[in-house]
This record gives sequence, C-alpha cells and structure tokens, in this order.
Amino acid sequence: MGSLFRSEAMCLAQLFLQSGTAYECLSALGEKGLVQFRDLNQNVSSFQRKFVGEVKRCEELERILAYLVQEINRADIPLPEGETSPPAPPLKQVLEMQEQLQKLEVELREVTKNKEKLRKNLLELIEYTHMLRVTKTFLKRNVEFEPTYEEFPPLENDSLLDYSCMQRLGAKLGFVSGLINQGKVEAFEKMLWRVCKGYTIVTYAELDEPLEDPETGEVIKWYVFLISFWGEQIGHKVKKICDCYHCHVYPYPNTAEERKEIQEGLNTRIQDLYTVLHKTEDYLRQVLCKAAESVYSHVIQVKKMKAIYHMLNMCSFDVTNKCLIAEVWCPEADLHELRRALEEGSVRWLGPDGRLELLDPQKERE
Amino acid sequence: MLEGAELYFNVDHGYLEGLVRGCKASLLTQQDYINLVQCETLEDVKIHLQTTDYGNFLANQTNPLTVSKIDTEMRKKLCREFEYFRNHSLEPLSTFFTYMTCSYMIDNVILLMNGALQKKSVKEILVKCHPLGRFTEMEAVNIAETPSDLFNAVLVETPLAPFFQDCMSENTLDELNIELLRNKLYKSYLEAFYKFCKNHGDVTAEIMCPILEFEADRRAFIITLNSFGTELSKDDRETLYPTCGKLYPEGLRLLAQAEDFDQMRRVADHYGVYKPLFEAVGDGNGGKTLEDVFYEREVQMNVLAFNRQFHYGVFYAYTKLKEQEMRNIVWIAECISQRHRTKINSYIPIL
Repeated sequence: MGSLFRSEAMCLAQLFLQSGTAYECLSALGEKGLVQFRDLNQNVSSFQRKFVGEVKRCEELERILAYLVQEINRADIPLPEGETSPPAPPLKQVLEMQEQLQKLEVELREVTKNKEKLRKNLLELIEYTHMLRVTKTFLKRNVEFEPTYEEFPPLENDSLLDYSCMQRLGAKLGFVSGLINQGKVEAFEKMLWRVCKGYTIVTYAELDEPLEDPETGEVIKWYVFLISFWGEQIGHKVKKICDCYHCHVYPYPNTAEERKEIQEGLNTRIQDLYTVLHKTEDYLRQVLCKAAESVYSHVIQVKKMKAIYHMLNMCSFDVTNKCLIAEVWCPEADLHELRRALEEGSVRWLGPDGRLELLDPQKERE
Repeated sequence: MLEGAELYFNVDHGYLEGLVRGCKASLLTQQDYINLVQCETLEDVKIHLQTTDYGNFLANQTNPLTVSKIDTEMRKKLCREFEYFRNHSLEPLSTFFTYMTCSYMIDNVILLMNGALQKKSVKEILVKCHPLGRFTEMEAVNIAETPSDLFNAVLVETPLAPFFQDCMSENTLDELNIELLRNKLYKSYLEAFYKFCKNHGDVTAEIMCPILEFEADRRAFIITLNSFGTELSKDDRETLYPTCGKLYPEGLRLLAQAEDFDQMRRVADHYGVYKPLFEAVGDGNGGKTLEDVFYEREVQMNVLAFNRQFHYGVFYAYTKLKEQEMRNIVWIAECISQRHRTKINSYIPIL
C-alpha cells in the first residue's frame, strides 16, 4: 500500500546506440513511452547540432502537409482520423514520401491557382452584368447622348440629371462606373465631394444580392455607383480616388446598342466560365480526396520523425566507437522493457538475418 | 498627496498591462544575440528564432529566405500584438494608442507623396508603408498638390488633422517642401502628445514626459545635424524644432545658430543629460555615431519605464523596444547575408 504513494525508483542509464540503428531504436523506445532523455549538448546552439538537416527536412514536410490539410478543409472534404497512430517511417520510406508530397504540392498549387483565376474572372463578369443592369435605370432618357456633344439634348423631367439649366461646356462629359464595398460608400462620397468640389455627380444604388469579394473571399454587400464628371483633370482625380477605395471599375457603355452588345457577350462568357470552373473544381476535389486518405497518417509519421531527430540531437557522438551515447532516466521496474525495445529496433534495421550486438546499458543509481 | 492610480488603473487597463509585461519578458536576451551572431546563414537565424518567442513565424515562407521577408514577418507580428492591445483598450488608453500610431501615419503619408513625385505606382509604395500607420484614406494622398489640398481633401478626418495648423500653405509639394512638411507635422504631433501625457498626470506623465522631451531634443539635434550644408535658413530651421523638450527655449535658440558639429556639442554641454551622450560619440571611423548614442539612451529610458506600474508608458516602451529588437535582428541578418561580419556586433543591446 505504501508504494502507491511513493514515487517509482528511477535509474539513470547510458545507452550506446550504433549510428545505423539509432533511429529505429529511438522509434521503438518512443512507441513504448518509457524513458526521458537528458540533453547532453546543452552548450550547443540549436542550429549547430548534428541532425539539423534532418529536422529541417521534417519541417519542410510539415509545411507541405499543413498546406494540404488547409486545402482539404477549405474544400469541406472530411478528413478520416485513423484509430491507431502509425509508427515513424523507416528511413528508406522517407525519401519516397518526400517526393510524393512535393509532387502533390506542386500539382495542387497549380490547380488552385487556375481555379482562383477562373473564379475571379467569373466574379468580375457577374459584377459587370449587374452594373450594366443597374446603371441603365440611373439615366432615364430617350436618347443616349455621346460625350463629345457640345450641346446636350433636352431630357424628360424625371431624369436624375437635370441638364436644362446647364450652360454649354466645351469640356467632355465622362463617366466612371463600378462597384464599391458597402462600408466605404460614405467615405468615398465625402472624399469625392471634397476633392472635386462639385464637378461630379454621383448616383449609386444597392445591389440586392451579396456577392463575393474576389480579393478577400468574403461575401459582402455592394453598391453600384455612377460618377459623371466634367473635365480631364477631374477625371484623373476621380480615378485615383476609386483606386484608393478599392472600387471595381468597369467601362461604361456609350450607347444603348453598345450596352446590349456587351451584355450578350458577357452572358455567353459567363456560361462558358461556369462549365470550365465546374470541371476544374471536380478535378481539384478528386486530387484532394485521394490525398485526404493518407494525410492523417503522414502528419503523425512526420511528427514522430521530427521528435526522434530532436532526441537524437540530445545525444552525444562518440567518435572512437562510432556510436551515439544517450543518457536516459528510466524506472527500474521497466529496464527489461527498455532492453527489449532496443533489440526490436536493431532487428528492424538489420533485417531478420542480421546479427546484433547489444551493449549492456550501464546502470547508475540516482 | 494620494495620486490614486493604484486604486483605479487596473479596473480598465490591468489586463492589458499584464499582457504587455508578458510580451516584454519574451524579448530577446543577450544569450540569444550571442547565438544569432554565430549563425552562418539566414536559415540558421530562422532555426534559432524558432526557439524564442517568435516561434514558427517564418514557417510558411518558401525558400529562399531573404532579410526583407524576415523584416516583414516580424513587423506583422508586432502589428498583430499592437492591434490586439488597441482593440481591447478603453479610453484614455485608446487615445494614447492613436497618438502612437500618428507618427507612423506621418511617415507613410510622406513616403506616398515622395513616391508620387518620383512617379512610382501606389502599390509599390504601399508595400513599404508601415502597417501600424495604415489608414483608409492613405492611398489617395497623391492627389494633393499643396499642403492645404492635402489637408482639406484627404486628411481632414484622420487623427492627423489637428497637426496641420502650422503647415497650411499653398506651396507645391516638391522634395524640400515635403521634408519641411514632415518635420512640421512631427513637431505639432510631438507637442500634442506631450500635452496629452502631461494633462493626464499621474505616473503616466512622470514616465512619458521625460521620454517625449528626449525625443523632442533628439529631433532638434538631428535636424540641426542634417541641415549643415543645405540651403535651409536658420530661421526656418528654428521653426522645425519641437518645443516640448529640455532645450526649449535657450538651447533651441543656440542650436539654430550652430553651424557645425562642435558648436552643436557646445550647446549640448550646457545640459547635464546630453553632455555625456556627446562625449560618447566616436570620431568618424571607429566609434559610435550620434544616432547610435541616441538609440542607446532611448533603450535605457524605455527599459526603466517598466520599473513603475499603473501607467501607459509600458505600451509605448514595449513598442519601441520591440522595434529596436527588429532593427538589431535585421542588422545581424544583413551582416550575415552579405558576409560582412566585421560590424556584426554593432547592434544595440536591450536587456
């Protein structure tokens, strides 16, 4: 009964690991979870240790796997989590795994890039159609005028732009139209007023359906705006302000025929894009599904591999005997387990025919 | 007299003060710097920084690693921390944070205007802007032709608006005028910040006012130093000096008349604080420059700010110390990447 409240008797053991078998032995020890390693290289900084290159390789693999997991989660594909955790991979498999993962990453990045480009294109076209539709209602008039007119034709009474009291201006009337984020509309309008001092007329209307912002990916509400201005200089300033507020500007059609033409062209292009986008998304999903099968076990394997190399970094290298010396704390009761784990590890490295020489772990009671 | 800060400071700001002290405890130590100096490549620097509070901040960077990538990531990290503090703050700490960001905003505005003068695209310059000084109207800065334009059109609703009082003029913005604008804005900003801290009173005033006084005097010295040999007249120079420092008013008047480094040194000798600083300046080739000496003194004052509790100076001091640390790391990284290791130890040690 008394032993339940006392700590286990521990002993400090010194392990001599042959450089070849060290990895496998540590893998076996790790699976058992028996020992704690002492850091024999405390004076050495982390980037000067022996196995730094291998740790870097593991980190590279971790980076690729993190990217894969992120993409899989983004596509809402379920990630199967296995029941048992696989052991660290033997060194021969590591190279193969690395190549496989690197190839997968390159392919995935390319396909994702293409998909993003297509999606952005599609969003732009959709925005353009909305803009054309909405701005049609801004200027109600019988005749579309051309910007080079010196004299503006008389218009109906209920148009939003009242030209009847305007003098003949030699300046060209220009239009800038596009979409702007809902949150920025007020500030945008204020700045336009301050900079252009009334030489512009702004009309805007809210779009009913929220659209996705191609840059950030979030679905927000947009306002369609139309700015009419007089003069080249003002035009430049208006364009700069539009850039500042990240508006999506689209060319404004001059005549009704142009507008109809553009709209038809846009519709066909949108249909085409939809089909291509669907095909790309299907292919991407296929690739990700295949990757998702083995990603979970890869993640665990790489983690274990990295942990093994961290422990190996703590061992000191004995040049005369060409072996690694490790100092571990182990409960006395488990010493035979320790031996067995070391035997297992050596056997795995040497194969079933190999002979092994197990150096006795020296015991020091502490 | 019962100041009372100890009684009510923690209600509103205790959480953030605790947080910032935790952040300060994870600044790089002397041991870290010794390790960094021993690195052979930038990869080694990355591996060592993983063991510090920076952690895996460079994990998603593809090869090859460059100094500018390291700098951008460090800056992003500082910005995240600062934004967290700012978003969780209450008044008057929020105003304090706004004052802190104003100096970065001024730098960004000047950067954008210089870029517009040199006909560079806005996007190119946006990358170089400091993230702490970012504000929405920033990109429209290049529309303005004159300072009054700039104020009326773009900056009137930003926190920079009150600093424009002395700067309204109709001169077009060319290179010289942009520098003058920068210095005038900074002078108004510093004086406003100083007044804010002084009016707040309490421990904050006791800590922040000496720091800001030093900043003002340092500014005056640097402006004088940079104006030797330029066409800036002495009267113009005097208008650029911030008046909230120890040098005001006699020192500033004497400084305005100075014509070379020795005369400047003689002015500094009148002040007990600045005499030893100028004596520590080396003579050209081997020793420290005046800027180095000023940086050291700034670091000293910022570290001392943490010895008192219940004031806002800890946030200012932490940000400045973190920036100094970033400058140190970038210096060391540059020396490593250019394989020019002779001056690698010229960073400013912090702790």
